[in-house]
Amino acid sequence: MPDDRGNAQQPRPQHADVLIIGAGASGSVAAKRLGEEGVRVVCLEQGGWPDYEKARADKPDYELLAGRDWDWNPITRKWPGDYPIDESESDITPLMFNGVGGGSVMYAAHWQRSMPSDFRVKTLDGVGDDWPLTYHDLKPFYERVEIDMGISGLDGDTAFPPGPGWPLPPSPLGVAGKLVAAAHNRLGWHWWPGPNAIATRETKHLKACARRGTCLWGCNEKAKGSFDLTHWPDALAAGVELRTRSRVRRLLVGDDGTITGAEFVDSEGNELVQTADVTLLCANGIGTPRLLLASATDRYPNGLANSSGLVGKRLMMHPFSTVLGVFEEDLRSWEGPWGQSIHSLEFYETDTSRGFVRGAKWGLQPSGGPVSMTKAYPFGDNPIWGEGFHAGIRKRLGHTAMWGIIAEDLPDESNRVELHPELRDAHGVPAAKVIYKADENSERLVAYHQARAAESLEAAGAYEVIIAPFIRQTGWHTLGTAVMGDDPRMAVVDGFGRAYDHPNLFILDGSIFPTSTGMNPTATIAAMALRNTEHLIATRRNQEVAR
Amino acid sequence: MTDQQIQFDEHARATFAGLADALIPEGDGMPSASQAGVAAEWLDSVLAARPELGPPLLALVRRLDGEDPKTAIADLGTADPAGFGLLAEIVPNAYFMNRGVRERVGYPGQVGLDVDLTWPPDWLDLLGPVIERGPIYRDPDRVAVTAETHS
Repeated sequence: MPDDRGNAQQPRPQHADVLIIGAGASGSVAAKRLGEEGVRVVCLEQGGWPDYEKARADKPDYELLAGRDWDWNPITRKWPGDYPIDESESDITPLMFNGVGGGSVMYAAHWQRSMPSDFRVKTLDGVGDDWPLTYHDLKPFYERVEIDMGISGLDGDTAFPPGPGWPLPPSPLGVAGKLVAAAHNRLGWHWWPGPNAIATRETKHLKACARRGTCLWGCNEKAKGSFDLTHWPDALAAGVELRTRSRVRRLLVGDDGTITGAEFVDSEGNELVQTADVTLLCANGIGTPRLLLASATDRYPNGLANSSGLVGKRLMMHPFSTVLGVFEEDLRSWEGPWGQSIHSLEFYETDTSRGFVRGAKWGLQPSGGPVSMTKAYPFGDNPIWGEGFHAGIRKRLGHTAMWGIIAEDLPDESNRVELHPELRDAHGVPAAKVIYKADENSERLVAYHQARAAESLEAAGAYEVIIAPFIRQTGWHTLGTAVMGDDPRMAVVDGFGRAYDHPNLFILDGSIFPTSTGMNPTATIAAMALRNTEHLIATRRNQEVAR
Repeated sequence: MTDQQIQFDEHARATFAGLADALIPEGDGMPSASQAGVAAEWLDSVLAARPELGPPLLALVRRLDGEDPKTAIADLGTADPAGFGLLAEIVPNAYFMNRGVRERVGYPGQVGLDVDLTWPPDWLDLLGPVIERGPIYRDPDRVAVTAETHS
C-alpha cells in the first residue's frame, strides 16, 4: 500500500497557473517541465507514494508478499487511492497503480517507441485512424524523455529509423536471450536487445540495476525508471505542489466553457476546490473518461469535452499472451532484469495474407522463482502438485523463458468506459464500468503470434512449449477513450491534447491514442506529454484561461 | 508472531501437514512439505507476513479434518477452487522459505548481481544477420498505398 509521505498539513488550495490531475507518466512529465519553466503548478493525486520499504526482493518471503503489496489489480487490492471498477462485461481486467508514478511503478519497463507506421494506420492498412502527428514529430520528444528515464538499449535497431541511440548500455542478453537470438537468425527473423527503462549504470535519479528480476513487484534497488523516481524529485525541487491522497470528484466549468478547476476531497475528508488557469487531465484511459463523464452539468449533460460523443468510447487494452519454452539448458531464469532481454518486431507490420491486420511486439522475459513455477499462470493445465512436484520444479525452475506478446487491438466504439449506474466510490463519484470484447481481428492476430512465438522457442531448443491460458488480469494498457484527431466531430482533443469543447483543458494520458499500437505504450505517452507540454508553454501568451 | 496472528494448535498443524504433504510429498531426494517444516516454523513465518491468510486457512483445515488428504486435495480442486488456491499459495511459499530446500533446487533467491557491461559483449556478433537484412519498418512517406496493403 502506498505511504502518506508529503501528505500532512497541506495548506488551503491557492489558485494555480496549471492544475494537473494525476501524477502518473503524463502528469509527471508535464509537472517537471512546467515547474522548470517557473509555472505555478498544483498536482492532485488520488493515491500516495509507492512504499519501497515493501519491496522485498532480497528477502525469503519476497514471492509471498509480492502479490499482495504490489498487487496490480485495483479491484482486488482496494487501496485508498483506488476507485471501484465494474469489469464484469470486459474480457480484460484493467490494471493500474493509483499513486505517484502511476502504472510505471508496477510496469515491466519495456520501453518501446511506436513505429512510423503506427501513426498512419488508416492510410497504410485501411483501419482505425491516422494520428494527427508523425513519428518524426514525436522523435525529438522520445529522445528527451528517454534521457530523463535512463533508458538502456542498443542503437541501430532495424525496426526503427536511425537515431542518436539510448542513454545507457543494454542489459545482458542472458543465456535465453542468446539462444533465442541465434534461433531468430536461423529463421531469418528480427530480434534486437530490448530497450528497457532500467538503469544499467547509476544515473541522475536511479541506482544501477542489480538484476534481481523483481521489476514488476517493487524495485528495491530503485533502478527501474518509474516516474516517481525519475521526474518527481525534479518537479518538487522546481516548486511544483503535489497533493497526494486528493481525490478529484469533478472538473468545474465556467459559463464561457473554460475549465475553472476541480473539486476534490483531501485525505482528511475536506471538500476543497483547486482553481487554475489551465487544467491537464492525466488520469489514464479509465480514470480520465470517468472524470469527464462524472463532471456532467445541465449545460454538458453528456459530460465534459464530449460534444463528439466519444468520451469513454474506443477503449483499447492490448490482448496479451505469454508463450513459454522449457529448455534443458540452465537459463537461470529467475535472474533479471524483468525487463526484456531481447524483443522481436518480426511480425509487427501488417501482412494481410495472415488473415488479419496490424501486429504485435514480443519481449523475452525471465520467469521467476520457485513459487512462480507452481502457478496455473502461465503454466496452464500442467498440474505440478503431488508425486510430480519435485520433478516439475527441477524442470521449470531456471529453465523457462517466456515471450510476452503485446497485441494491437483496433478501436471500436462498443468497447468503452461508462459511469456505473449504481456503484459509487467513497466520495460519491460513480464507479467506472468497463465494457470490452476482443474482436475477430484480435483473436486471429493473437493466435497467429502465439504460433510463431512457439516456433521461435522450439527453434531455440525448447523441448516443451506452453501457450499460457488466457487470463483477464492483463489490462496494463488502457488507451483510446478520449481520442485525438483533427476533426472535432470525431475527436475529443486536437493533436496537442487540447479539448475541442474547452480551450483550457488538455488531456495528456493514453486516453488520446487514436489507435493502440502493438507496443508497450509508456514511451509514447511520455513523449506525447512532453510534446504537448512544450506546445502549451510555447503558445501560453495566446492560451485562453479560466475566468 | 503478531498479536493478531491466529493460533494453530498441534491438531490443526497435523491436519495441515497432511494436506501440505499431499501437495509436496517426499521424493526425488527432496523432503516432503512437513519434513521441511512447512507445518511448523515456516507456517508461522508465512502467517507472520500474511496474517490475513490465517483465519481462512484454519477454517479450511478444520473443515477437512479427518478426511484423507489426497482425496481432500483432489476434491478441493473442483469443489472449492478458492480453498485450493489458499493452500497452493501458502504451502509452496512456506516450503521454499526453507534455505535447505532452496539450496537443493539450486535457487539462491533473488540475489543482487552486477550488470556485466563488458564491451563488446559476447553476443554482439549475433546481430550481424539482423543488420545485414536492413530496415524492417514501413516508412509511411515511401510506401505506396495500394489495394493489396488494405484488408
